[in-house]
Amino acid sequence: MSRAIEFLHAAQNADGGWGYKPSGMSFVEPTAAVLLALHQDAPTDATVQRAQTWLAELQRADGGWGIAALDEESGWMTAWAVWALTSSNPQAAQRGVNWLLQNAGIRVTDPQQAEGVKKVLRIDPTITGWSWQPGDAAWIFPTALTLLALNAMNVRDHPRVTEALAYLQDRAIATGGWNIGNPFMVTGDMPPTVENTVMALMALNAFDIKSEITQRANEWLFRPFTSTAFEWSWRAWYWAPSNVNVLGAREVVSKMQREDGSWDGNPFTTAIALLAKGEKND
Amino acid sequence: MTDQATPQKSPRVSRRTLLRLGLLGGIVASGAIIYDRTKEVGVANWFKWMLRGQTTRFAPASRVALVSVPSYDDDLLRAIHSLWQNANAPDLQGANVVVKPNIVEFVPDRPCFTNPHVVRALIQYLRDTVQVKSVVIAEGMTFRRDPQATLIQTGYRDLLDSQHIDFVDLNYDDLVLIPLRGGYAKLDKLFMARTVVQADALISVPKLKTHHWTQISGSIKNLFGIVPGIKYGFPKNTLHIQGIDAFLAELLDSLPTPKRFALVDGIVGLQGDGPLFGTSVASGALIGGSDFLAVDATSARLMGFDPATIAYLSFIAWAGLGQLDPNKIELRGASLNSLMRSYEPAPKI
Repeated sequence: MSRAIEFLHAAQNADGGWGYKPSGMSFVEPTAAVLLALHQDAPTDATVQRAQTWLAELQRADGGWGIAALDEESGWMTAWAVWALTSSNPQAAQRGVNWLLQNAGIRVTDPQQAEGVKKVLRIDPTITGWSWQPGDAAWIFPTALTLLALNAMNVRDHPRVTEALAYLQDRAIATGGWNIGNPFMVTGDMPPTVENTVMALMALNAFDIKSEITQRANEWLFRPFTSTAFEWSWRAWYWAPSNVNVLGAREVVSKMQREDGSWDGNPFTTAIALLAKGEKND
Repeated sequence: MTDQATPQKSPRVSRRTLLRLGLLGGIVASGAIIYDRTKEVGVANWFKWMLRGQTTRFAPASRVALVSVPSYDDDLLRAIHSLWQNANAPDLQGANVVVKPNIVEFVPDRPCFTNPHVVRALIQYLRDTVQVKSVVIAEGMTFRRDPQATLIQTGYRDLLDSQHIDFVDLNYDDLVLIPLRGGYAKLDKLFMARTVVQADALISVPKLKTHHWTQISGSIKNLFGIVPGIKYGFPKNTLHIQGIDAFLAELLDSLPTPKRFALVDGIVGLQGDGPLFGTSVASGALIGGSDFLAVDATSARLMGFDPATIAYLSFIAWAGLGQLDPNKIELRGASLNSLMRSYEPAPKI
């Protein structure tokens, strides 16, 4: 068993979930990410099964998931839960898909208002994706995450999927990459961020979309910048399927592993690093 | 009998009736205005805030301290000591303190974040002079899910490591659902980081800067960072949708920490396209006080703005959550006039 998996076993909470730190309260996102990292190689593992049970029990009557047990409102982490339960609990995952398809980010419909937003933020607010919470505008991370979850559930031709793919392309930063969803703010380009760029690229790749936008984003990911375990893990996860060790990312990620087997002492980052490594025995 | 009717004498409206009608009309018009202004929040809430706002006019003045500090290379510890004494800061001996700077983003050559030298001096002062029990630096960034790169770029990582200070990412902390006291926003509960809820004191340490949504960004706007991104998203837009003025009033009113203090880094401020892309202004000031509204109103005046024209400050003052009127703010330390600058306003969106 690898040190990383040992860390995750030790960090699992009594309720079966994981937090963003050992002994921190269980959240849906880190629990789902750990399941994605562990599940393929250990579907019958007791750790995995306890986490699946916790996740399934947290599903709300409307089919969605909140962020944690004390959250009484379904939101963006529904997509993580759907993705993590796709093969082990397809019924629950399908109810989650139904919730996702019924919820969309705010769309600006007034032409005058839309023109105003276009002028200031350089986005088309008539196109939407998925929001963090119902009643909010759409943002990159929940939109890309939902597209990946829908792809895992083989929902590929839905009109919401088509629109969300257009949304991602509309919100790309002109110089490459994505941030939370504001490519431009009044007088300047907003800087891209790694996790949003990786998620958007993974979603567009999953739906076979390649364009100048994806090309520029790929180029941006190659640039040197102040990198952290979190950012290197996301970059390496994106590059993992190519089987090419881009920028020596696997070694960089390995070097960032802590003595306790974790990355940043964080089960979520550790799960992303494990997904990036693509193998469990380090 | 005759069919010819006696000519009817038109009723004469007496002066008293006219007055009564006028009074009735005034009552109806006032009622309509009150209805219009309260339909979102309820009459009871509206009257509660209005009465509290009126009562605040008779409350003692809030004290705000100013210190002239031309450069980050100056003796910041001494400056903070002076400010702390002049501001009549709360007694934090033995307290668990959360220091909340504004670490919004790193943009080269744009002083958009609280300078870590100010925070370093504050923490040294809290540890050595005030003798707090514990102190952490906490932030919940708005535009990024991971703060680590920004902590390195802004110099906070060095500060944390060299001073052995814990950083709490308020976006990922354990959460507590707190009741909202005010009723300003449409929420009655709010998720908040456990570190903030359990602290004895919160010190808001914002940057003196302009902001395209709120005109200025001060100690109250800085509170947005204590709201967890994993629930309310990045950039916490769900809360903007509540109405920025209402939600900031709610955060200030419902802040669970028993003691609070604001220290504004105005040594180098940011003007124009804030909160990120503005240009620097050598303001040479530190501003401090326990009344966040009074501190932010004074900050606005230092920037050359009338705080009464800044919607969220004006609303918070009307609701009685602090002092905005210069006659109700007792300034100590350096003179306001000597530190006043003329900041270029943020472009309006």
